[in-house]
Amino acid sequence: MPSLVLPTAYFSTKLSHRHHSTIPSATHSRRPHLAGDPPRTVVITSGKGGVGKTTATANLSASLARLGFRVTSIDADAGLRNLDLLLGLENRIHYTASEVFSGECRLDQALVRDRRFNNLRLLCLSKPRSKLPLSFGSKTITYLVDALKTLEPLNPVQFILIDCPAGVDAGFVTAIAPADEAILVTTPDITALRDADRVAGLLECDGIKDIKIIVNRVRADLVRGEDMMSPLDVQEMLGLPLLGAIPEDAEVIRSTNRGSPLVLNDPPAPAGIAFEQAAWRLVEGDTMTAVALEEADRPAKKGFGWFSFFGL
Amino acid sequence: MASIPTALPTKIGEASIWKSRHVWLGSQNLAWNCRRLRWHFVIRSSNGNSSDSSKNPLVPVEKNLRESCQGSFGSLKATVHVLLPVVTSVRTRFCSKFAMMVYVTFAIFIIIARKIMLKRENHVNQGSIADLVRRGQLKSNRRGIAKTSLYDNPFNNAFVKIDEENSTAQMFGKVYRLAPTTLTKEQQLTHQERRAQAYQWKRPKVFLKEGDPIPPDVDPDLVRWIPPNHPFASTSSDINEESFKNNVYQKDGVPFRVRAEHEALQKKLEALQDEPKIKELAVNLKNPEEFEEPKLQQIELNETKKADEKIDKGLKSSNEKS
Repeated sequence: MPSLVLPTAYFSTKLSHRHHSTIPSATHSRRPHLAGDPPRTVVITSGKGGVGKTTATANLSASLARLGFRVTSIDADAGLRNLDLLLGLENRIHYTASEVFSGECRLDQALVRDRRFNNLRLLCLSKPRSKLPLSFGSKTITYLVDALKTLEPLNPVQFILIDCPAGVDAGFVTAIAPADEAILVTTPDITALRDADRVAGLLECDGIKDIKIIVNRVRADLVRGEDMMSPLDVQEMLGLPLLGAIPEDAEVIRSTNRGSPLVLNDPPAPAGIAFEQAAWRLVEGDTMTAVALEEADRPAKKGFGWFSFFGL
Repeated sequence: MASIPTALPTKIGEASIWKSRHVWLGSQNLAWNCRRLRWHFVIRSSNGNSSDSSKNPLVPVEKNLRESCQGSFGSLKATVHVLLPVVTSVRTRFCSKFAMMVYVTFAIFIIIARKIMLKRENHVNQGSIADLVRRGQLKSNRRGIAKTSLYDNPFNNAFVKIDEENSTAQMFGKVYRLAPTTLTKEQQLTHQERRAQAYQWKRPKVFLKEGDPIPPDVDPDLVRWIPPNHPFASTSSDINEESFKNNVYQKDGVPFRVRAEHEALQKKLEALQDEPKIKELAVNLKNPEEFEEPKLQQIELNETKKADEKIDKGLKSSNEKS
């Protein structure tokens, strides 16, 4: 396809990266250029449950932290919080934002610092068996995010990621209140897409215009057989720019069991690298301009077939 | 006449059994697939009488092994002895001992290598239920910290390579064709307009419990009604908005409620100490005699004195009666 401009466009992040001066970090010698004014408050939502909001939040948080950015993740799913499990921090949560509201602890005491990255923190909204007080409406979490922004003036937070609960209930209304931009996670099926379209409409009504989508659990074999919508189809239906397309990967379950985000896998998993690419685009304010659609035919390797016995 | 197969090896030599072709395997060529191999033994046996054997060297009796074997021990022993000719046959077929050793060594090497590879793969691909146990979700609270993989660019690394000329991406050994996205700004705006018409929504500003009256200065469209039995949300709070805000923005010092509770307890204690009875009951720390334990010897002496007095009283009363 010589007429395609896609390689340069596809790697617009990479090309733009060349033009910007990179800031060395402790973990990466290269990192993307931060677009927008920090701190950026991003809500990760979907409408439908079980599409991978919390997985996306955990992996984006870890990826951003590894790139050297100061990240605070808020699990705004008051009743069914799981972000602590995915980050492996469930045994270290003693205080939540609910205790901060009631004056039982300070905000810095409720922040759980990740041992792998000093610049990644987790804040849970409430304990599983307690109720979140919503007496002050959306101000409940708006004050909280505002306080997070000013908590450490010397090392201000650069990303605040809010894991939104499923549905459009009070939890959703609370979670989107302080957000400036949104990531809409969806799977390539019609039920998730309908909910995603509704949620996108609500977000736009609320004034959040910067919405990007992550298409999760894409199976190239089904897309090739036209049994599953491709990320391009999803984009066409929703009319929103693509931040990432995450392939279906069994490693997601293993990483959940391990309590370690997929992006930290060594050796890396395909889904983990896709999340890293999404994080890179998020930092640079970029979007996908080409999608790896289907497996291309290529000649079989000659020789070394015997080594398949070892799974090589 | 027909002896049991356990007596066989004492009378019949291994070579003779093999040469006589009365002992044979299901297939003439040894099949390496053990599932398909069906052992069908037909053996030559003789009775154990040595005198008879001198006269009649061997009386061949063909019998099925399964029929003749009665005990499991017997069958095992017979099988072992029957296998010996197989080994000798293999020895005879393979001319060189050295070649055979090479084959065996190579087979062992393959088995060991495969085991190592599988073990390494299992070690790498952790994430089983054992990890949940390790994390304390199931039993113990031990938990590890994952190693981090380091590479600079997620778009260009050992696992992801992009061929810009052919518009392909090689990811994890598979080659994918890249297709461009076609979404334009105009299309995005069209979708936004469509959604704006479809979803007329205002974000609720006030959360009220169902049944509560709407405050006069609040737009009814901006009210979110929370049912009283909502599992996660509550509209009731014992603090006002100002103290709520102070709590959230507090950066150092003792938290509000902890300080308030501490002060309340202190006041209560002071109030109790003001009462005279409590003062009497209270232990004066300045006077060490008050909280010193009485000596054991004194206690014992008092007890013996009391016992003596009782005895004396008892004696006196008995004397008076008499």
